[in-house]
Amino acid sequence: MLTHLPLLFVCVWLISDLHTQAQVEVIARLPRTTRAEILARAEKLAKHTWVCGAPNLRASCSKRYLSDWKSGQSVTGIPYCWGGIDGSEEFDRKLAKGLAAGAHSRFGVLKCAAGIDCSGFVTLSWGLSSSGHAYTTSTLRNIAGKLKSNVFEDLKPGDVLNKPGSHVVLFTGYNADGTIAVCEASSSQARVVCRKSTWSRFKGYIALQYKGIDD
Amino acid sequence: MARNSRVFLLFLLFGLLASDAPNGRPELESNVCTIVLTRILRIPISMLGAQVTAESLNAAPATLLVSPGAADEPPAGPSGFDVLADGSLLINDPLRSRVSLFDSHGGFRKAWKIGFAADSLTVTANDVVLVREATTGQLHAFDREGKALQAEEGSLPGQAEARVLNSKSGTIRRPSIGNPQGGLLEVTFDKPGSSLVSLETLSIDQKGDTYVALETSASGDATEGINLSKYVRRYSSDGKLLCEIADIPVDYYISPIDELRVHKGLVYQLQTTSSEVRINVWDTNQLCSHSPH
Repeated sequence: MLTHLPLLFVCVWLISDLHTQAQVEVIARLPRTTRAEILARAEKLAKHTWVCGAPNLRASCSKRYLSDWKSGQSVTGIPYCWGGIDGSEEFDRKLAKGLAAGAHSRFGVLKCAAGIDCSGFVTLSWGLSSSGHAYTTSTLRNIAGKLKSNVFEDLKPGDVLNKPGSHVVLFTGYNADGTIAVCEASSSQARVVCRKSTWSRFKGYIALQYKGIDD
Repeated sequence: MARNSRVFLLFLLFGLLASDAPNGRPELESNVCTIVLTRILRIPISMLGAQVTAESLNAAPATLLVSPGAADEPPAGPSGFDVLADGSLLINDPLRSRVSLFDSHGGFRKAWKIGFAADSLTVTANDVVLVREATTGQLHAFDREGKALQAEEGSLPGQAEARVLNSKSGTIRRPSIGNPQGGLLEVTFDKPGSSLVSLETLSIDQKGDTYVALETSASGDATEGINLSKYVRRYSSDGKLLCEIADIPVDYYISPIDELRVHKGLVYQLQTTSSEVRINVWDTNQLCSHSPH
C-alpha cells in the first residue's frame, strides 16, 4: 500500500493541475466588459417597458400557472421567470409569440414562459448572453472571485452579492447613509427592479467580482 | 505667582468641564440605557406545497402564506407591516393578494381582499393605510377598515435624511418645522472593534424624539459571508441618547421590506422564520438596564 503512495500524490497533483488549467481557460474565454457596460445592460433590463396581452396571462404548458399581471397592463422591467435568461429583444419576441409573461418556481421551470431569474439577470448584465443559462448562484463562483477587501467600502458597481443556492443581486453603488443601491430580478416584485436596500437583507451573502471586467 | 497659576489652572479645568456638558453635544456612550426584548407575537404560517391550487391558496385563512422558493429563488411571503393607532397590526399576505389584520396580541381578526400582491404597508398619521403594489410600486390608499379610498392620492411621509460620516459617526437632518430643537442630530457609535455601516431614520414622534436604526459590523471581510449587527436608538429632541436596543435578530427567512416600525415608543420588527411570523417588540418607554461598554 505504502509503495503506491507516491503514485497517488502524482494523480492528485495531475487532477488538481488539470482543474486549474480548465479554470484558467474558462476565465481566458470570458468576454471582457467594463463596469459602465454592466450598469447599462442592467438598466436596460430594469427599464424595459412591455404590455401584457391576454395570451401572456396563460402558460400553455402548465394548468396550475397563475399570472402576476393583468391584461393590457403596462409594465416596466423584464418579468421574473424562474430558470429564464431572456434579454429585452428575446423577451419581446417570446411575448409576441404568446408565451406567458414570467413564472415562479412554484409552477416549475416553464418552457412556455418568458423572462429572467436572478442569476440570469447577473449573467446577462455581465455580458454573457451567448452562454445561455450556464451559471446559477451556485456556479457564479467559477467566473467571479471573492472580494478580499472591505465589503462596506470597496465594492464597485457591477460586483454582486451572492448567496449560493438562493439569490444574487447586482451592486450599483453606496448611498450617503451607508445603505446600498442594487438591481435584481426579484421574485417577490415579479420583475427586474433597482432599489435602495439596507445591509441586513444581505447577511450571509458573499461579494463577488466578475473576472472578465476591464478595470 | 504659584497661587495665581493654580487659580488659573482651576478656572481652566472648570471651563473644560462646563464645555463638555451635554448641551447639544453628542451623548457619550459610557452608560447606555439598554432595552431588552419585551415580547414576541407569534403568527402561524401555511407553507405552500409543490401543488399550488386555489384550495391551497385559500386554506387556513388565519395564517399567512409562505412559498419556500427553490434553488435560485428565495422564499416569498410577508415582507411588509405597520401598526394602527389602536396597536393592531397589518401584515401583507402577497401570495393571497390580501392584507391581514391582527390584534395587539397577534390574534387574527380579518383580512382585506385587496386584489393585488403588496410588498409594503405604511400607516400615516391620520390612520390612512398606504399599500404598495409589489409588481408596479404603485401606492393604494385604504381606511382602517380596509375600504379603498378612491380619491385619495397616496404619498409616503418624508424621511429625515441620514448620512454616515465615518466608521464612528453620522448625522440625521431632522425637520426644524414646529420643532425648536430640530436640525442636525449627531449620532456617535463608539464600540471597540465595531464600525458604523449605515444609518436610517425610522420615526420622529410628536415630542420630537428620533428613532434611528444603525447597522454595524466588526469586520468588512465577506469572504465567508457578510456579518453585521443592528441597533435601534431613541434620541430626545435635544439630541440626548435616551436608550438603545442591541439584541435585534437579523436572520431572515424572508427579507422584509418593512423591517422595523415605531409606534408610541414601541419598536416592532417583522421577522419571518421558516415556521412562523414573529413580531418582536421592544418597549422604549420602560425602565431600562444600564450596560457599560
